[in-house]
Amino acid sequence: MTIEPELLMAYADDALDPLTAKRVERAIAADPALAEDVARHRRLKAKLGAAYAPVADEPVPDRLAAMLTSNVVQMPRHQPRPSRVSAAWRSAAAMAACLVVGVLVGRGVQQEGPVTATDHGLYAAGSLARALDDQASGAKGPVRIAVSFRAEDNGFCRVFQSTEADGIACRDPKGWSLRRTMPGSTPGTGSGYVQAGSSDAELMAAAQDMMADMPLDAAGEKKAIAGHWRTR
Amino acid sequence: MAAFETELLALLPRLRRFARSLTHDGADADDLCQVTIEKALMARNAWQAGTRLDSWMYRIMRNAWIDTARARSRAAETFVAEEAGLGVGGAGNAEARVALNEVDAAMRTLPDEQREAVALVLVEGLAYKEAAEILDIPMGTLTSRLVRGRQALMARLGEAA
Repeated sequence: MTIEPELLMAYADDALDPLTAKRVERAIAADPALAEDVARHRRLKAKLGAAYAPVADEPVPDRLAAMLTSNVVQMPRHQPRPSRVSAAWRSAAAMAACLVVGVLVGRGVQQEGPVTATDHGLYAAGSLARALDDQASGAKGPVRIAVSFRAEDNGFCRVFQSTEADGIACRDPKGWSLRRTMPGSTPGTGSGYVQAGSSDAELMAAAQDMMADMPLDAAGEKKAIAGHWRTR
Repeated sequence: MAAFETELLALLPRLRRFARSLTHDGADADDLCQVTIEKALMARNAWQAGTRLDSWMYRIMRNAWIDTARARSRAAETFVAEEAGLGVGGAGNAEARVALNEVDAAMRTLPDEQREAVALVLVEGLAYKEAAEILDIPMGTLTSRLVRGRQALMARLGEAA
């Protein structure tokens, strides 16, 4: 009787139903080599378990625990009706946007800036617009895209971070409309991962409120990039 | 602190372990944990209370790692491994560090699809069915990846001892 490697492995892991297990046991009794294979599977499992056990026993680094014990406490619950934005918020956002634009304009005009003001509000331009168009979440570069998602109006939005500005941009027929902007938090160099900071938490909270579902996964994002972020 | 955060906090040690077995590097593992927590917090409304948070988190982490690995290969980045042993058992004993380094090195040689199966079943101790659901693959695919991954690891880790 032949015993498939998968079956033998499942036996070693105690993952078989009793009847199948009996069948494998009979085969093992007749073939010492199979018994040795089972023992090898179990030794490997024990070895891996023991090797990684110390990681789970270590204290969790503060920066990870802090993401759950400090910042998120202020994160708002999902708003049932997120459509109405208060006038106060609007003006605060406008002021914040002005500050950011001031900073961006102040950087000089020798190269195309990352933001352009239009009659319809602020839109991404230059390197920021290109990153929003083509760059995958998590990829390193002057602009980092933290996450992409579909907003409740079904349009695509992306949370971005750069040295000049952080914010949330949403795609519309005219381009990437900047919905939230705040001074940049990402250092020019570094690991490519952004430390959880206050602006981070604010943006995440805002994105959470706008999000219709889970963030896009890599495949979904790739598809969206290939389709130029058009929705239909 | 809300129940979601409390439950997530309790899962962090296991998530760090899973991250370590996926990334085979202490610093990368904690960066992956950070990204995973960010994503989970943003998507918290998509998690249904009463369902298993650990499976949900494993899935987010696994997908985040695929994204990271893809972005890296796209950037053709020269990956410089952290100093061996860094990040684990800072105060722990040398023997445990050596064992982990040996296993990390062996895990690094596996294709991603085998490594994630091995990590979920052999390191995290999940049932085949749970692992298959997290990876979104049929059981038969899981067991064949798992068996190949294990055979490669056995060969690599010199099964004699």
